[in-house]
Amino acid sequence: MGRGWKINPIVKLGPGVSQAIGSFRADKGIQQPIRIALYFSGCCDSSLYLCVVTILETDLTLELDGLTFVINPEIYQVVGEVTISYVDEMGRKGFVLTSSKPVGEWDGCGVSDIKIQPNLYV
Amino acid sequence: MEQYKLFINGEFVDADSGKTFETIDPGTEAPIATVAQAGKADAEEAIAAARKAFDRGDWSGLTPAARAAKVQDFADQIARQGLRLAFTESMNSGQVISLAKFMPLISVTLLRNLSLAAVTKFPWEEEIPASGNAFAPGREFIRREPVGVCVGISPWNYPMYIACWKIAPALLMGNTMVLKPASYTPLTALIVAEAAKAAGIPDGVFNVIAGPGRELGEILCTHPDVDKIAFTGSTEVGREIMRMAAGTIKKVTLELGGKSATIILDDADMELAVEGALFSNFFNQGQVCSSGSRVLVSSKIHDEFLDKIIKRAESIRIGYQMDQTSHMGPLVSKQQLATVERYVKLGKEEGAELITGGKRVEVKGIKGGFYYAPTIFANVNNKMRIAQEEIFGPVLCIIKYDSDEEAIAIANDSVYGLAGGVFSTNTARAERVARGVRTGTIWINNYHIFSDYCPFGGYKQSGVGRELGLESLREYTQIKRIHVSAIADHKSNMTFKIMSDYKKVEGFSYNCPTAVIAGHGALSSIYKAVADLGCRRALILTDSGVNKAGLAQLVKDALVDFCVGIYDSISPDPDLETVDVATAVARELKADCIISVGGGSVIDTAKGVCVTLKNGGKVNDYLNFLVLTEPQTPHIVIPTTAGTGSEVTNMAVLTSKGAGRKLFIVDTRIMPNVAILDPRFTMTLPKDLTVTTAMDAMTHAIEAMMSTLANQICDGLALHAIRLINENLPLVVADGSNEKARLNMQLAATMAGWAFTIAQVGLAHGMAHTIGTLHHVPHGVACGIVLPKVMRYNVDHAADKLALVAQALGTNTAGMKEHDVALAAADAVESLMKKVGHPMRLRDVGVPEENLAICAFHAIADTAVIFNGRPVSDPNEVLQIYRQAY
Repeated sequence: MGRGWKINPIVKLGPGVSQAIGSFRADKGIQQPIRIALYFSGCCDSSLYLCVVTILETDLTLELDGLTFVINPEIYQVVGEVTISYVDEMGRKGFVLTSSKPVGEWDGCGVSDIKIQPNLYV
Repeated sequence: MEQYKLFINGEFVDADSGKTFETIDPGTEAPIATVAQAGKADAEEAIAAARKAFDRGDWSGLTPAARAAKVQDFADQIARQGLRLAFTESMNSGQVISLAKFMPLISVTLLRNLSLAAVTKFPWEEEIPASGNAFAPGREFIRREPVGVCVGISPWNYPMYIACWKIAPALLMGNTMVLKPASYTPLTALIVAEAAKAAGIPDGVFNVIAGPGRELGEILCTHPDVDKIAFTGSTEVGREIMRMAAGTIKKVTLELGGKSATIILDDADMELAVEGALFSNFFNQGQVCSSGSRVLVSSKIHDEFLDKIIKRAESIRIGYQMDQTSHMGPLVSKQQLATVERYVKLGKEEGAELITGGKRVEVKGIKGGFYYAPTIFANVNNKMRIAQEEIFGPVLCIIKYDSDEEAIAIANDSVYGLAGGVFSTNTARAERVARGVRTGTIWINNYHIFSDYCPFGGYKQSGVGRELGLESLREYTQIKRIHVSAIADHKSNMTFKIMSDYKKVEGFSYNCPTAVIAGHGALSSIYKAVADLGCRRALILTDSGVNKAGLAQLVKDALVDFCVGIYDSISPDPDLETVDVATAVARELKADCIISVGGGSVIDTAKGVCVTLKNGGKVNDYLNFLVLTEPQTPHIVIPTTAGTGSEVTNMAVLTSKGAGRKLFIVDTRIMPNVAILDPRFTMTLPKDLTVTTAMDAMTHAIEAMMSTLANQICDGLALHAIRLINENLPLVVADGSNEKARLNMQLAATMAGWAFTIAQVGLAHGMAHTIGTLHHVPHGVACGIVLPKVMRYNVDHAADKLALVAQALGTNTAGMKEHDVALAAADAVESLMKKVGHPMRLRDVGVPEENLAICAFHAIADTAVIFNGRPVSDPNEVLQIYRQAY
């Protein structure tokens, strides 16, 4: 999936997501786009999460509600359309990411904040 | 294609929704079975069945042996399905058949081993011989009882075996269970359900539902009828499960992620280290939570190790999992393959050096499958994401280090703490390193060794609780403490008295086992006494004054060859160090019996020595109430004063410099075995000491009678002690060589000791302890001065007892009212004191008047005050008594 024939990723935002990301960026003074990334969350399960890193040449990008989202094309190929929700209920506060091709059976179970990666790598 | 159904309440059923899902062979990507897909209704039905089965009691109410027998039947049925289970496990999870063929065997063994442990080793009931509460005697014990309905959520890497980690302890402990296997690998759990049914496990005790974790997990982890959740999976999901369980305070056992370190020390056997690191990373395609995926290699052997492990990794055969020659099979899913690929790319981007692998593998003759080559990164920095995040695939990261300390620091630089390994030819060194690593399991010169009786679980974010072993059995029980009161009478319940105006405790337990041998020449009995106690190496403890007087030598001679020494460095008001030094002497001499010759200080030191000699450590460890559970080092006492009664009491008073006050050992077990009252040992006691120690004994007797714990046995002892002191103290003051009077004074002190060791003392002792500690007034002197004042203070709460005291003191009570007689008792005590020359006022013994108020505050907090016949809670009242005594 090289440059020149990039697809437009489909990312859907639930209520309150834009405001929560906007507040985070304002609090931290962050200008970079928000990356949708994949990590292995330990013993048998992978998860999607949000982080802030520099955009890479190969990334797929999407402008939505005034925010720029990026995702590695290989990850997008695996997970498909991504939905980002924001929850704040009974000790569960943060972003919940699900995908049309779930990365595991617990897809969307965990919540996360936006990680600021110590390096550029995702 | 095979079809599998849910197992609920003893029946195999379709999902309520009728939905099914396909499960595949990851080696070919071909579907191999359809499985009923449970939803909310099915989960609720399974929970209801488990709840009903638990409450029915035909499983939870069985004896442990009866349950174990059923679990053994269950194991037999699994064994019967062994071949089918092995093939299915391999085909569904991607485990190579050379591994999967062992899964039925080790699952059966686990069920059998834990069955045996549940019957023969598990402490279902435990006595608590010493409760730690001195005020509420009774039998104390705990019972371990099942938790209730347990949910087991098992992972896809060892679908059957890890399910059995949860099934075995849950069922053996009397619980019922709903098991949810991983959606990638649901088949063997459903075959295990067939085995449960065939074994006759009662309906509803064991249920299996397959379906999506997120949807089912929310029901299973929040349902009010579920009591415990045991989950193996990711830290992120574990965190959510903990949160969901918190709503109804369910117990949780979580076995979560890991990023364990395999530490190769510079003296490791190179071939073993290479094989160990290889196995720790590539076993089951690296899909093991305990994988040692950070291989820390000493810089001294790094290059050689690297060369060898590359060659060895490249020799691993990757193939279809059912091929018996395959070393590694496929990863479990396309998603897992994508995750591993992503991390390998990340490692390269981070700057780690990919030295082998890093690519998918195509297996000849097979189209598809999720195969990935054994992959090794060198020059990995522990801060890199590939070193911090679990990859759960065949990716090995090599990190170089220079010292053992650095290796430990790197190993501990992780949010996880699940497992790890150390390779070294020096076991002591390896174990030192192992102890430094904060992890739940660590193997030395081995890896991935799981054993049925050895607990497994994580430190830090790797989990909560333990699976396997007796620990896993404990995790599936809850503890019920049962207290059965020794006396079932509200009038004898000291705790209930807090809410009652009637403070007197009616019932009592009298247990004073000290043998008393009294009379002129009683010392001769000591030879036989030591022999009767089974001892041969008696150490005499005494003070320098008694030793110089030749009394210790008398005892030594009486012991013939049973004496190993005389230690005479015991000072008045002994502190903890005094006891520890004396104990060291006793240890050095291998003493098996302590003989104390002296007054209260020597006897109390000896009591401390007996406890410490028996139990080890320092005497500071034993400053407790009623916690000793077995006989202590034998102790024979020969008192040289007639006052403390310590020769028969359950108390040792010792000064703690740390606490800045006197502290106590109070225990029936420290009552001496034998008290020898030979009047020759008190003949040389000076007049002033004779008087003040006698007033100590008098205070013991009178306060025991005024106490809330007073009783008829102690009253009888106390009254006769009072009579003996009243009659004999003037005689020994007049003539110190009056041996008969001396013996009577000794007997009085002993009887008063017996009285107060059960009935306790009161406010006079609390006040005397205070001025003794703050102003160094000798204990007997302080007791004597405040006693009559306290008797008057208590008069309305102990008039009957004080009237008896007055009579014992020879007061003519004819025609007097009880209240007046009681007050006359105090007058009689003061008359006796004057008669024998006892100090009468605090001002005469160096207590400054301006300090009386602070003394009152201290005294009211003294333990003895608890038992005073009149409740004491106002320091101003105590101050008034001090002023009267001033």
